[in-house]
Formats: sequence, structure tokens, C-alpha cells
Amino acid sequence: MSMDAQLIEHMMNPKNYGTLAGSNAEGIGKNPENGEKVAVYLRVGTDKDGAYIEDISFQAIGCTTTVVAGSMITEEARELNINGVRNLIEATMKLLDRLPAEDAACSEMVALALGAAVDTYEKRIEDPDFPVITYTVSNSCVPKEENQQDEEEEAV
Amino acid sequence: MKTLMIKTHEAWLEVLMAGFMSKTENKQVLFDFSDILFRHFTWLENELIELDESYSYDRDHIPIKVEKLSELLKDIITRLNEIDLQLLSSPDKALAGRIATDLHYMIDVMTHMKDETITAFNMERKFPGVELTQEATDALTLFLFEESYKEYELIMIYNYLKAHSNDAYMNRIFQILIDESFFHLKSFGDMQAKMGLLGVPRIVMKELYQVDDVVQFLKDGINEELAAKEECKKLSEAVAKDSPELEKFFDFINHQENYHIALMEDALKHFEKDADA
Repeated sequence: MSMDAQLIEHMMNPKNYGTLAGSNAEGIGKNPENGEKVAVYLRVGTDKDGAYIEDISFQAIGCTTTVVAGSMITEEARELNINGVRNLIEATMKLLDRLPAEDAACSEMVALALGAAVDTYEKRIEDPDFPVITYTVSNSCVPKEENQQDEEEEAV
Repeated sequence: MKTLMIKTHEAWLEVLMAGFMSKTENKQVLFDFSDILFRHFTWLENELIELDESYSYDRDHIPIKVEKLSELLKDIITRLNEIDLQLLSSPDKALAGRIATDLHYMIDVMTHMKDETITAFNMERKFPGVELTQEATDALTLFLFEESYKEYELIMIYNYLKAHSNDAYMNRIFQILIDESFFHLKSFGDMQAKMGLLGVPRIVMKELYQVDDVVQFLKDGINEELAAKEECKKLSEAVAKDSPELEKFFDFINHQENYHIALMEDALKHFEKDADA
């Protein structure tokens, strides 16, 4: 992770960290490879233009990179409408290829948790008891060369 | 009682952060006060367990970014006064009385503490007396954030396990692990403050300390300690060229992890023996 002042500020003081009182949807992003996990909590409000993110928070079992990604993405998502949040998730997913493997898995986990929270919210419009949705990352936290090396060692 | 425990948790961390920020004789006093507040927290937790009330280690965000120590002390004093008021509704009057006398003394001492200018948030990322390369500085920065949180997380996990165990053998192990993690947290927090990078460790998720399978937790914990040793070794190598002192320090921390591993292996044997019996 290359570090600038903005990034360090997110490390020192992660934004929107913790549970959220009065949340009406939650979503989870998971990495089964290492047991890391992100939970996103939403309080979705509605105005004349439809549903929007009134408040948002997240918690993580994960590394500092995950916390920084959570802090940044939840800041971006605040006050967006549902379409805006979906666009943010899509834009984040498109960026993953340009990131180092460990950073990509962390950011993907946060984006998936946010997507899961929005999907849970929409499902709960029809069924208020709909359970919390969980999505699993496709990126590996381990750089490709290390993965390849491990596979070769296992083959021997 | 729950609110009292949460407020005491927050006060403990805020005073600990004040200790990291201080560069004068105030430092040790603040560290001692934070230790006392941690003990208050465990007393209150024990009360909740005896009353059979559910609780968690959730708490609010604690703002600590100040330019003068007196600004943070003012906030801490307000918080301690709130706790003092809350104690009036505590069912255990004897405990409330003991805590109140500590709070009154701490408030008095903090009211008269000499003020200091705070540099713990300047983000300069320079370790006093050491010129590190950019790569080593980045590695040290990331390490300090990862590990200071990890040590806080371990304190909370072992504290929770200890609070819910009546096994003297295990409680001895949990207490040593808590003490070790406190030492590491204080070391890393101090380094963060010196580098202008101080931050309050984030809230620990419930499922981490409300452990369902202690055996699996210990096995995972041993692997995590082995990984932490590896991180210390990498960091020691990264800073070796620029600072033999930091190199020695991280080698020392690396070797200290051997205590944690030995204790967790002991705990694992103890649990497995119990499971076999």
C-alpha cells in the first residue's frame, strides 16, 4: 500500500466504523481464504426521489487495508441513492485489476458487503424478515506468484 | 450498569491515548490511571456477569485529536464526572464507592496537570533520531496500525475469556497474555505517537471475543502469533540498515511472541485434556 496523507488519515481515524443504531439493512462480504469479513450497516431513508443512504457504517475482521477501503467506500456511499451506490460498487470492482492482490481482495470484500447490504434492503421491502445476504470475494489475498509457488510445491 | 461499563471502557482508552501523547512526567501518571480504569472496567463487567446481564464491548467513537493535552484532559474529566454520576445508580454500593474515590483523585490530579503541546497527530512519520528509507517508513507505519489494533483485540478477547472462566489454570494464562498484550500495545502506541500517527484502536467485533470454540481459537491464535513473528522479522530486516536500535527492538518483540505461543500451547493442552476426560 503506497501511503499519502489522506490514506494515513483513514488509518488513524477510520470513518463510519462500528455498528449503526436504527439500521434497516446489513450485508456481509467474506474472504473464505483467510476468514476475513466485512459487515456494512445501512439506514436507508426515502425522499421525493426515492431511497437513499441516510447513514452507513461498517465493521471488519481484517487488515488495515480493509479498514481503509471500508472508510473510503462508506464515505463515498453516504447520501447516494440506490443507483448511485450500485454505480459506486461497479466502479470499485473495475478498479480491482489495477490494485496489488492483497489490496484488491480487501476492496472487493468491502464493495461486496455494500452490495449485499443494498440487496438485503431491497429484499426486505417485500419480506421484512429476509436474512442478511453474504457474498464471497473472487480475488485472492495472496499475490499470484506466491499462489503459483504454493501450487508447485504442493504438486511436488 | 451497561452504560457505566461502556463509559469506563471509553475513559480507559482515552486516558491511555493521553499517556501516549504526553512527553513529560505526566505520561506515567496517565498510564497508571488508565490501568486503574481498565480494572474498574473488569469490576463492572464482573458485576454484569453476576447479574446475568448480556453485554458487549461495543463503544462509541472516541475523538482524541487535540493540539494541547489540557483539551483532552478537560474531555476526560467531563467523562469521569459522568461516570461518577452514573455510579449513583449502581446496585453494588461498595464497588461504586471504591470507584468514586479513585475518580475523584484522578480528576483532581488531571485538573492540575502541566499542559503540553501535542505532536502525536502531525503525520510527520519520523522516528526521533532515526532516518528511515521511504520503504521502511511505510512498512513501520503499516505494522504499527496492524499490531496496535491486534494487541487491543487480544486484550479484549483474553479479558472476555477470563471473565467467563472459573478455571484457575486458564485464568493464570489469560492474565499473562493480557499483561503481555498491554506491554506491546503501550510500546506500539508510544511509537505511533512519536511518529505523529496516533489513533484509537477500532472497536472489536463481537464474534471475535464471544468465542464458541476455544480450541480452534487457540489453534488459530498460535498460527497468528507465528505470522506476527514473521512480520517482526521482516520489519527488523527493513529497518536494520538505518537503525540498529529499532532492529533490536523488533527482534525482541519477535522473541517475545514465543511466550505467547508457549502459553497458548499450554492452554490448548489443558483444554484438550479436559475434552478427553
